[in-house]
Amino acid sequence: MTETTIAPEARGPAGRIWDLMGQRPELFTLALIVVTAIAVAIANPEFVAMNNLFDILRASVVRGIFAMGVLVVLAAGGIDVSFTAIAAFVMYVLTMLVHNVLPGMPLWIIMPLAAAGGAAFGVLNGLLIHALRAPSLIVTIGTQYIIRSFLLTFVGTALFMNLPASMEAFGKASLFSWQGTNGVVSALPATVLVLVVVALATWFILERTLLGRAIFASGGNPGIAERLGFNLFQIRLFVFGWAGLLAGIAGIVHVASNRLANPFDLAGMELEIIAAVVLGGARITGGSGTVLGTLLGVLLITLVSNVLVFVGIPSTLQRAIVGIFILIAGTIFALRQRA
Amino acid sequence: MMQFQPDAAGTWSMSAPFLEVRNVRKSFGGVQALKDVSLTLQAGQIYHLMGENGCGKSTLIKIISGAQPATSGQILIDGAPTGPLAGDLGAIGALEAGIETVYQDLSLLPNLSVAENVALTGQLVEAGGKLARPLRRAALHDTAARALAQVHLPTSRAFLGRRTDTLPLATRQLVAIARAIAAEARLVIMDEPTTSLTRQEVENLLAVVRRLLDQGVTVLFVTHKLDEVKSLGGHAIIMRDGQKVAEREVATTPKSEISQLMTGREISEARYRTEPKIGDVMLDIQNLTQPASFHDLSLTLRKGEILGVTGLLDSGRNELALALSGVVPAHSGTMQLEGRIIDLKSPADAIREGIGYVPEDRLTEGLFLEKTIQDNVTLPVLDRLRNAFGMISGRRARALAREQIADLQVVAPNVQAPVQSLSGGNQQRVLIGRWLTINPRLLILHGPTVGVDVGSKDTIFRIIQRLADEGMGVIIISDDLPELLQNCDRILVMRQGAIIATHDAATVSEDEIYQTMAGGAAVPATGKDATP
Repeated sequence: MTETTIAPEARGPAGRIWDLMGQRPELFTLALIVVTAIAVAIANPEFVAMNNLFDILRASVVRGIFAMGVLVVLAAGGIDVSFTAIAAFVMYVLTMLVHNVLPGMPLWIIMPLAAAGGAAFGVLNGLLIHALRAPSLIVTIGTQYIIRSFLLTFVGTALFMNLPASMEAFGKASLFSWQGTNGVVSALPATVLVLVVVALATWFILERTLLGRAIFASGGNPGIAERLGFNLFQIRLFVFGWAGLLAGIAGIVHVASNRLANPFDLAGMELEIIAAVVLGGARITGGSGTVLGTLLGVLLITLVSNVLVFVGIPSTLQRAIVGIFILIAGTIFALRQRA
Repeated sequence: MMQFQPDAAGTWSMSAPFLEVRNVRKSFGGVQALKDVSLTLQAGQIYHLMGENGCGKSTLIKIISGAQPATSGQILIDGAPTGPLAGDLGAIGALEAGIETVYQDLSLLPNLSVAENVALTGQLVEAGGKLARPLRRAALHDTAARALAQVHLPTSRAFLGRRTDTLPLATRQLVAIARAIAAEARLVIMDEPTTSLTRQEVENLLAVVRRLLDQGVTVLFVTHKLDEVKSLGGHAIIMRDGQKVAEREVATTPKSEISQLMTGREISEARYRTEPKIGDVMLDIQNLTQPASFHDLSLTLRKGEILGVTGLLDSGRNELALALSGVVPAHSGTMQLEGRIIDLKSPADAIREGIGYVPEDRLTEGLFLEKTIQDNVTLPVLDRLRNAFGMISGRRARALAREQIADLQVVAPNVQAPVQSLSGGNQQRVLIGRWLTINPRLLILHGPTVGVDVGSKDTIFRIIQRLADEGMGVIIISDDLPELLQNCDRILVMRQGAIIATHDAATVSEDEIYQTMAGGAAVPATGKDATP
């Protein structure tokens, strides 16, 4: 260290790919997606059909909306496992309310209500974490249990099969439909639009506002961020509020596309979503992650859960494949960090 | 470079000084870290805040920079009091007043880019700390590039976009200064900025400081390196035990007077090491190497000998400590302890071989703060405390802990008191006591008196001497030179991963050691250690 060397050393092509992967870990996720897709397509060419692709997109929407919230929380150095419970609560209560009391409520009122309800829970998470100075994992495990238990005990356990008309219509709406040579009609669901809007909004906040930089700053080192004048309280309220808001929206999208409001739904999805975000290159310890990478992580997880049946892998084995991918990605990211 | 003008005092009274600290006190629990400190900083001047470890310098700069509120007192900027009550500027308040601090840890966000680290706080201050504002990327890059150019760093897009945790330390230091420049700082506080820089890097940094002064910026330089103080000139503010004891013009004050004011005692410090009883060679290390940290280290230690190891932060001394304790094993080379080759792969191996290691940072690496003294002391020997049923005998554990705290004069109500309720010096003694339970043959002390008050230092030094007299081999790894001079038989100096000199602690001076470790004087680099 005699001179200030800041030029990267000359490296071979393998080294350069390695370095690039360190800067853009989502490239690795993309590689996994491509490899999986090619492997499945070779094993069973029927996979490359429009309706399959649309199915994968459809199945990515709810995961993707959740993942945007998790990304923001992880980037700020926290973790949230209560978002599925928030989504279940909001979707069930709202469906019940619309169904029983205000059957004519249009979607443009339902959606903001869901967002506001989810955000309220999220802000509560943020307040608790800040006030108790407790790790966010512990706090959100607590709120997850409380919210879920309240829902099932005091609100109800019955399924709603008859959805309010506006939600039913939203779930059926398609942006684009396409008739295959075999006569099968495949439709691109309108719910994909919600994910697009949510992803754009999250990208804008993270990359184009001071708040976004503050989120990464607090994930990088909260002590230093505070010393530099970033208000950790506001950051925490926002990230958990945002995760809650998106959970509320995801809940409604889930009900609309399944045409069923089941209060037992969504439970247990938390780890899968967190895994998707981490597969997309965000560090579990905070301070990193991109919207694009997260979308790729979600796509990878959905791909694995939806298409492995095409190559005759039993659905019970899907989790193992996801697990292997996570281990590979985790190892590579860790090695890259150590270098 | 700004020259100090003795007759400038008359013109100062015309306008209010840039910053005035009035009767600031700060206490943590029962400990008074600052006792009624007052000082005045005039615009465009350089001040050196000097004093020994624990004298209150760090607390004072934290208060001035708004990172911590004072318990009482006032801070005035341009003659106007700031903050609701005490000197409580708050982080944003201090930044708005143009006070920028380059802490020892540099306060860079590791995961953000150079440009963001340099220019983001500027936008935050403009927004009054409000976060719901657009990020102006173009402005961010322009501001960052201008500030980086002033400290002679590259302004290419690639450099602006680099994460700061990928930069070498000296570059990060300059990035932190560039941040202060970008924020149009009126006062830049630097907390021991040259601690781990090479000579060339220090020169570079001092040149940047002079440029800041030329631009009318006030600089508060926290340091204890007299050479740098002399080279920059200005005023020295000297602190001791939480009080300001003196303020001097650097140009007209001899170095010896400044060091005397800092330590509060004559330079001749009594050696604790009086009649060493040195026996046979017990530890023989040959060609110990850990690529990137140190290479080909060879040294010997005799029974009853106290060996000091020092060097700058990047000299490899810390890594040597970790290798000797098995925390980060060495890559190659041999270690012989009392004639037997030992291979330390983990701390457990070191404990088995009878090597006790008191780590540098007792709070994070050593002690379980919320656990009791007993739990902390008995940790390495739990298997010796089992009763007939294989359970840990509370009675034996208590007895052992009591024995250790009596032996080491730990001041505590009883052995069930949590360690965090003790003072720093007592905590350190508990940690030493823990390692004494394994009856070590070799005790390695890494910075044994960091953050320990003078009285406790005395006790710890006496304990170290007693242990050596009982025949233990002791290695003290430290950057506290007086501590090494007072306690050791020999002092090894490391630089860039090699042992470059061995001094006889009884005859060498602090200045001489400092010169060797900083690479100033032409010292014959033997690379080997010579046993006396």
